[in-house]
Amino acid sequence: MIKKQFLGFCVLLLSSSFILAQNEVTGTVSDTSGPLPGASVVVKGTSKGTTTDFDGNYSISLSSGDAILVFSYIGYSDQEIPVNNQNTINVTLEESARALDEVVVTALGFTVDRKTLGATYSKINADDARQSGETGVINSLAGKASGVKISRANGDPGAGSSIQIRGANTIGGNTQPLIVVDGIAFSNENANGIGNAATGGVSQQSRLNDINQDDIESMTILKGASAAAVWGSQAANGVIVITTKKGRNKDKIDVSYNAIISFDEISDRHPLQTNYGQGTGGNWGQNNSRSWGDRISDRAGGNDEFNTSGQYFEAQDGSLYYPITAKNSQRTFVNENFDQVFRTGNSINHSISVSGAGEKGNIYLSFGKLDNKGIIKSSFYDKINASLNATYRFNDWLSIKGKANYINIKSNRIQQSSNVNGLYLGLLRSAPDVDNRDYIGTYFNSGGTPTPLRQRSYRNTYGSKTNSAYNNPGWTVNELKNLNNVDRYLLNLETTFKPTDWLSVIARGGVDNYIDFRSSFFPMFSSGSTPSGGQYYTENRDLKNLTFDFIGRSNFDLTEDLNLSLTLGYGHNNKKRNSIYAEAKGFIFNTRLKDFETLATEANRIALNSKSFFKSDRFFGVAAFNYKDVFLNFSGAYETFSSASEGVFYPAADVSWNFSDSKVFEDSFLSSGKLRASFGQVGVAPQRHRFNTTFEGFTYEDYSDPIDITYFGGGFKLNDDLGNPNLKPEIKTEYELGTDLTFFNNRLGLNFTYYQNEIDDVLLDVTLSPSTGHNNQYRNAGKLENKGLEIDFNFKLLQNEEYNLSLFGNFNNNKSKVLDLAGTDVVSLVGGSITSAAIVGEPMSVLYGSRILRNSDGTPDLDANGFLQQDSEQGVIGDPNPDWRGGLGMSANYKKLNFNVLFETSQGNDYAERTRFILGNFGTHSDVGNTVSPSQDLVDVNGDIHPAGTPTRGNIADFGAGPVLLNEPWYRGRGGGFGSSPINELAIRDASWVRLRELSLGYTLNSEEFRKKTKLSSIDFTFTGRNLALWSDVVGVDPEINQSGVANGFGIDYFTNPTTKSFVFSIKLNY
Amino acid sequence: MKKINYIIVACSLIFSGCDYGELNENPNEPTQVPEILVITGTMLADIAINASHVQRISGMWSGQYKGEQNLYGALHGYEISTEESNSSWAYLYNGILAQNDVIQEGLSDDLLIVGISKIVEAHAVGSACSNWGSIPYSEAATAGIDDPIYDAQSNVFAQIQALLDEAISNLNGISGYTLPEDIFFGGDKTSWIQTAYTLKSRYYMLVKDYSSAYQAAQNGIASNEASMKYHPPGTTSGDQNLLYEFLSGSRAGDMSTDGTYLTGLLDGSPTSRNNTKTNEDARSEYYYFDTDGGNTVGVAAATAPMPLVTYEENLLTLAEAAARTSTFAAALGHLNELRGFLASGNAFVAVDGGDILQYDAYDAADFASGGIENVDGIDDTRALLREIVEERYVSGYGTFMPWNDARRLRASDTDISVPFPLNTGAATVYPERFLLSQNELNSNSNAPTGVTIFDKTEVNQ
Repeated sequence: MIKKQFLGFCVLLLSSSFILAQNEVTGTVSDTSGPLPGASVVVKGTSKGTTTDFDGNYSISLSSGDAILVFSYIGYSDQEIPVNNQNTINVTLEESARALDEVVVTALGFTVDRKTLGATYSKINADDARQSGETGVINSLAGKASGVKISRANGDPGAGSSIQIRGANTIGGNTQPLIVVDGIAFSNENANGIGNAATGGVSQQSRLNDINQDDIESMTILKGASAAAVWGSQAANGVIVITTKKGRNKDKIDVSYNAIISFDEISDRHPLQTNYGQGTGGNWGQNNSRSWGDRISDRAGGNDEFNTSGQYFEAQDGSLYYPITAKNSQRTFVNENFDQVFRTGNSINHSISVSGAGEKGNIYLSFGKLDNKGIIKSSFYDKINASLNATYRFNDWLSIKGKANYINIKSNRIQQSSNVNGLYLGLLRSAPDVDNRDYIGTYFNSGGTPTPLRQRSYRNTYGSKTNSAYNNPGWTVNELKNLNNVDRYLLNLETTFKPTDWLSVIARGGVDNYIDFRSSFFPMFSSGSTPSGGQYYTENRDLKNLTFDFIGRSNFDLTEDLNLSLTLGYGHNNKKRNSIYAEAKGFIFNTRLKDFETLATEANRIALNSKSFFKSDRFFGVAAFNYKDVFLNFSGAYETFSSASEGVFYPAADVSWNFSDSKVFEDSFLSSGKLRASFGQVGVAPQRHRFNTTFEGFTYEDYSDPIDITYFGGGFKLNDDLGNPNLKPEIKTEYELGTDLTFFNNRLGLNFTYYQNEIDDVLLDVTLSPSTGHNNQYRNAGKLENKGLEIDFNFKLLQNEEYNLSLFGNFNNNKSKVLDLAGTDVVSLVGGSITSAAIVGEPMSVLYGSRILRNSDGTPDLDANGFLQQDSEQGVIGDPNPDWRGGLGMSANYKKLNFNVLFETSQGNDYAERTRFILGNFGTHSDVGNTVSPSQDLVDVNGDIHPAGTPTRGNIADFGAGPVLLNEPWYRGRGGGFGSSPINELAIRDASWVRLRELSLGYTLNSEEFRKKTKLSSIDFTFTGRNLALWSDVVGVDPEINQSGVANGFGIDYFTNPTTKSFVFSIKLNY
Repeated sequence: MKKINYIIVACSLIFSGCDYGELNENPNEPTQVPEILVITGTMLADIAINASHVQRISGMWSGQYKGEQNLYGALHGYEISTEESNSSWAYLYNGILAQNDVIQEGLSDDLLIVGISKIVEAHAVGSACSNWGSIPYSEAATAGIDDPIYDAQSNVFAQIQALLDEAISNLNGISGYTLPEDIFFGGDKTSWIQTAYTLKSRYYMLVKDYSSAYQAAQNGIASNEASMKYHPPGTTSGDQNLLYEFLSGSRAGDMSTDGTYLTGLLDGSPTSRNNTKTNEDARSEYYYFDTDGGNTVGVAAATAPMPLVTYEENLLTLAEAAARTSTFAAALGHLNELRGFLASGNAFVAVDGGDILQYDAYDAADFASGGIENVDGIDDTRALLREIVEERYVSGYGTFMPWNDARRLRASDTDISVPFPLNTGAATVYPERFLLSQNELNSNSNAPTGVTIFDKTEVNQ
């Protein structure tokens, strides 16, 4: 049916040839160095336009001789020239630091005049993004557009970041926007894979960061559904359209070299106490997991006394460690232990590009190399990019374009979060009076038998245990290896066919293929029951993404005033993913050789694999009507795909009224004004392969005691996930109303957008009653909504030849709400004692866990001793979504000096400080290192009385029934602890923050004399400070980081690796 | 128009259809397997229900184990959340009931397998019903029912008695064969029938139908070999004794037997049960584990068997039921049979060959006023019952028996129950049940709310 309809459209398209234009204007568009191919020429006030060819030439048919042509090119100031019945108009465009964002790139990769569009587009200039000095393109978007939330998983080099546009649009589907590079979808996967746990492992990379930032010409963020509807089920989270650079200078070879050097420091440190030693109950205890021991200042001083008659540990430098018989030393090692694993990180980024153009085509070649050493010793992220972008024109009606990229990433990641091999878990739980620096050596048992390469840690201070419980951070950093190597190849081919001058047909296809080879090596004596015997695993993730588009574009005048431009297309997508995982454990001997057969017997070697397949077909169309100053766009896509049981039509419409074109506003302070409204639908595809109820292998484990079917002859069970053959995509329906205004000769620009969306048929693993025999079913069951206001502004306070000063900023107050979960009260988005969850009636991703027992009036129901009690049922304990977010920046130029500053803020967001909370339990956090002297008798949570005047360890609090003493029993019980046993609500804090996101100072050297002497056209010097300051009530951690990385669930820290602040120097040479 | 013809040709070529065939079939997991491959999994689920987290908590709540720190520290102090029941519920309903539907449908003609599957189900459902009281059963794991109703506790017990009768009848009618998938008995139908009778007697005990319990136990487990136990291969994480695994990794030190009431009974402290005829030295050693973890000997060693339904239980059910419904002599005979078995050294592997193992037969005089088991001069039969109950408390270590007995006897027989203390001064009464699974509370509109662990279940009122 649909095929026929489309063919019908084709015929309509072809038969429209009778409507042809009248006058023709021709000319050349160039800049100071030569013609500009690909520049846009649009008839002002219409959607009618063309682009210049490879020689910068254009020709355009006009229905009237008094039209105004708008010439634009990204990075250049627009020019408007009245035709006045001229037949030839040549234009020279001037480069602009902050061009008027008059043209934008649509979801299909075509450049159009912004005023013709009724949907919301945020354009980000590549130079602005580059100025951030971020090594990854995603982070460079932070704070630059309203409604776009960027949050990094942590500060590890190469770590992924989450992009969220206008709140969460799905519960269990893909949470990240679609990335379209030069019209072709670009994978931005961030996957944990088979071997890595989301809540504790290493942080994974976001594949969008693979792109070489110096290749990017512009980025346009399509926030709303109407702009993105042609992408159907891939576009519910918005679309980021990236245009890459092309060769364009005809006279000479353009050579550009850019070097960026940065120095990175940890941005926040958890404060730790140094007053009390290892042990519990006020008594020192060697190898104890806690630091609730003796008061260090009460110790005798001098050296410890040892039992040297039996077992001991000899470190690599010959230092000896024995069981301690008397703890005399008052030394503490908090800073030494920190310095053992942290350093000043750095990165060096070189990139060079060569480009040019000729009569028949153009070419752009670039090479980039990044070497990034993280702040955690041994972590690194190295990247190589090579790109080729070439166009060749055979004749007037046929041209081809080819693009090839090769990307290689190599990195070493650091274990983190809820994971006994995690860096912070071992470091921050370490007793202050244990020196971690000797982490490896030889253990001699009481019989004198040596065991070399044994780990030593604060719970294993003389190496007597094979499993240290938690790793010494030195061991985590130096002995563990968590490498990955990505080889990524992209190849895009495009043919443009112009059979007549009113029709162009584009066929383009792309292959995006990458292999991410990951490996993790845990030598013998690492922590954990399996790693302590040695564990090595590799995972080979192979993704192939094939896309093919066939698009016809046409433009014609239906009547004198009514213009129609029509785009029809078909898109095919085929994704294949294959992961192969292999593991060796229980090493035969203590070797570092990474070879499966050497490491383990056959019984201890495991191979797993996981495959997935997906195909989709899309028929799409865009019809843009223009009547005088009103633009009306209709678009839609009909899409079928393999993971849904039926096809879906995604309609969209928007209208734009450029009311300022009316004569009423002539000579007023309003320079331009546009009202826009839009409606659109987009979707989220169901997860693949969820139609059937399968049988699965399994391990039963009720609190760390696994029993695995593999070891009992193998077998299966009917999956606890019930299959669902009736899956449909989630449908997001969005309405927008907005206005774009500029005042005072375009010096003040304001954009307001109000949006409201509802996502129906949200797919989620509905928690079934366990008593149904299945735990979950993936269903179209939920409903969400988001609404909010977006404001962007740009105010050029001062502007003249020598200097200018402008302020810019953005604001968004997205409010999300979960409307329906098909009877399930709670859907956990991430696991853990505090989960981030979807709960009906609450905003998405609220924090959920054990809470304070409260009376009906909301006051805490205190126990007989005046302490908070735990409610036996869990509940909502915080909302990590901000009330509003905003960015505020200033940009100033004085001659060739420029200065930029960008502040970003998030207000009213809660955060689960689980690291700090659990460190209370361990007695290492500075919160619990205090000694108080009660002025009255105080009870503790056990009801024990602590007499007035006697100094005791703890804090005094008043929960409402008078002062009480918070001491070890409190912090190790209700007030801090594992699982759901403590009152986890006490770990929640308001994490509103303001940060100095960027501060940069740049200078451009391009004087006439300089050019002559050096033959260079310019040199740019820039210094950037990134993340230099953070103001927040949260202590010790940047509340932007997230334990589970790029996920729908967020707002939780649990021994997650820290973020960085950076000082970045860049130099750019242009020849 | 030649150029346009190219486009038309291209158009028609690419629209080659959108039929995805089997592309969305799961390439990683089968949708069908031979049903025989499902059987072992139900047994693992049964182990996870009866010898894991919930059993450990029950042990902490009946003076058998001590929760030292972290989650177990809190659980020891009766601070528990509904989350702790999630795994056990999933293992019961998905791990056993849903799988049994597959097995009993696909292998309906194989009465050995059908019979075994019913006994495994009755074992798991019985434990769940005892722990949680009213639970879904008659409508559980039924396609199309999203909110199964809750059957009364007594009703569930009645249903599983009937299920066990069916299983016994299934098994009695066949000749039997070797079944390697059966990790408990290798398909030995006699052992399964005896296990079914012991389970019947267990559930009669729980509802205080002592004469039926006595009758069922007559046909119950008659030898140590017929005890249903988990015998862990013990080679790697995933096939080891569950206590060993729990105590060896990052949870090391979370639980021990240091200073528990049971340890006191056994290790010669003032509450010791040792007397001139009894020396618990060996059993005390066997039962002990400290906070160090990584045990190589005793009950928490990697290969130590984990009891589920045992010969000891059957003998002690005979003993208690006989004391209540038959004669003193019969009861004493059963008790002495158990003591003889303990004395044989076959009940457990002694930690050290030198450990003393003394269980001389008791005689009636020992229970007469002033006898070694009746120094406080109570009624002879009550004294005998008291000793039988205490023996159940000790022999039932590692199973739900001590916890079940404590709740059963608290209502009517406090004079003979084991007087282990409350774990925290903050509590005034003992826990009587577990909290319903949080997932069930979230999703099943029939799930009762507002129940605390201190509320007695129906049969223990």
